[in-house]
Amino acid sequence: MSTAASLHQSRKRKNGVMMTLCVVAAGIGLAWLALILGALLYKGLSGVSLAVFTEMTPPPGDAGGLLNAIYGSVVMTIIAVIVGTPIGVLAGTYMAEYGRFSKLTTIVRFINDILLSAPSIIIGLFVYELMVRPMGHFSAIAGAVALAILVIPVVVRTTEDMLNLVPNALREAGTAIGAPRWVVIKSVAYRAALSGIVTGILLAIARISGETAPLLFTALNNQFWSSNLNAPMASLPVTIFQFALSPYEEWQQLAWTGALIITLTVLGLSIFARSLTGRREDR
Amino acid sequence: MKPMLSTELNTPEVAVDKAKIEVKNLNFYYGQSKALKDISLSLPERSVTAFIGPSGCGKSTLLRVFNRIYELYPKQSADGQVLLDGQNILDRSQDLNLLRTKIGMVFQKPTPFPMSIYENIAFGVRLYEKISKSEMDGRVEQALKRAALWTEVKDKLNASGLSLSGGQQQRLCIARTVAVKPEVILLDEPASALDPLSTAKIEELIDELQADYTIVIVTHNMQQAARVSRQTAFMYLGELVEFDKTEKIFTSPREKRTQDYITGRFG
Repeated sequence: MSTAASLHQSRKRKNGVMMTLCVVAAGIGLAWLALILGALLYKGLSGVSLAVFTEMTPPPGDAGGLLNAIYGSVVMTIIAVIVGTPIGVLAGTYMAEYGRFSKLTTIVRFINDILLSAPSIIIGLFVYELMVRPMGHFSAIAGAVALAILVIPVVVRTTEDMLNLVPNALREAGTAIGAPRWVVIKSVAYRAALSGIVTGILLAIARISGETAPLLFTALNNQFWSSNLNAPMASLPVTIFQFALSPYEEWQQLAWTGALIITLTVLGLSIFARSLTGRREDR
Repeated sequence: MKPMLSTELNTPEVAVDKAKIEVKNLNFYYGQSKALKDISLSLPERSVTAFIGPSGCGKSTLLRVFNRIYELYPKQSADGQVLLDGQNILDRSQDLNLLRTKIGMVFQKPTPFPMSIYENIAFGVRLYEKISKSEMDGRVEQALKRAALWTEVKDKLNASGLSLSGGQQQRLCIARTVAVKPEVILLDEPASALDPLSTAKIEELIDELQADYTIVIVTHNMQQAARVSRQTAFMYLGELVEFDKTEKIFTSPREKRTQDYITGRFG
């Protein structure tokens, strides 16, 4: 009786200790996030004005905005998604549908996982060798290609995972009604996995919108407005990198504001992606 | 040529009816292991045939040979002959998609496609027929009526097929199968995931459908086999033990193993 009670007591104590450790660990993780967001909001929000979205990056000591950098980021991200998404979705489709039982799929998955965790600076160097050197100059298109290479593995992975979650019974049902394989994939499997695949694409956008290293080697930067894809182009991350390291106060302020814009964009995308998957689970 | 009137009179009804599907010396393999051993039987047209037997006896496997759906999986293979109206469907030259429009299948778990009720039915029809919107409306209505679902869903055809109850989903799957006008309908334990009321509805439906279709049903439930089928095949460990009129199987089976199974001594 007494041993059982003391056992119970000691178990309760252990439970209490472990619980405290877990809460503290979670608290530390959240605290950093709160600190970062707080600092960003505090320093960045004060710099937000209409000028940020309407004026170009200024020369040192002058007032200005981030329009060319925002434009560059948006353009290169869009091109990267347009190039990377079809490749990623098709590769994921091969792995989950046509090549589900093939050895090639295992190999591709392994390589894709390596690519997924490859340091982005290496991707930047790769595109530098592949495009920038032969072309003789930095360019927006090289930047977009570097970002596309980062998009592909994320989209491949999520597409494959989401298609694998589609029950085989549904594929059999489609097949049993006389639908050819591609129709089953297009009309049944894609439809069932749609929100998951879209979520993967959104997460890929979130990932590349903060990438600096691959752009340093490819798109470089541009103080001025440029919509020429064959010329260096500004982007938010690289501008932040440059401005944050500068001694000029106006530039530092713009860097904070740019960081806030990126963070809020990524946050918005993540919440949107979450709401998509959430809706899927409700069904 | 064969003036054997007396034997013809004595032949059971099973053999007299025109055979829709004839299975000859069929073997089936999951990789190396043999799941069906030298199966031969013939299924009469416009009639319900039940496959019964304990789990793993091969009854579902046999059903899955009839529309060659096993070919979705690379390590499964069949040899022997399965004749549909005299044509061997195991032939390499057989067009699989066309075969599957002739032989429909309904699965154990309801599998509505992730689309509206209307689209669930129109989807299959649209694959092989180009028809106008009004004709399609007619086809959808007709199929839903056939599956005894029309009155329940006629006001919400645009609702998701997934919003229906399990029993309704299963009838939607039957409607979807009927809509493409198959000749044979394969039912793989169609009521095992349903409550008794939905099961009764499905069984009623099967009874009506046999006027127009050749139906093969795999079931775990022996009472169900007795209720809905005209002939029953008892399978055990990949072999066809006995195949006869349902009445005969359940009242005076030839084989002891059949007797043991239907009286609940094993399985």
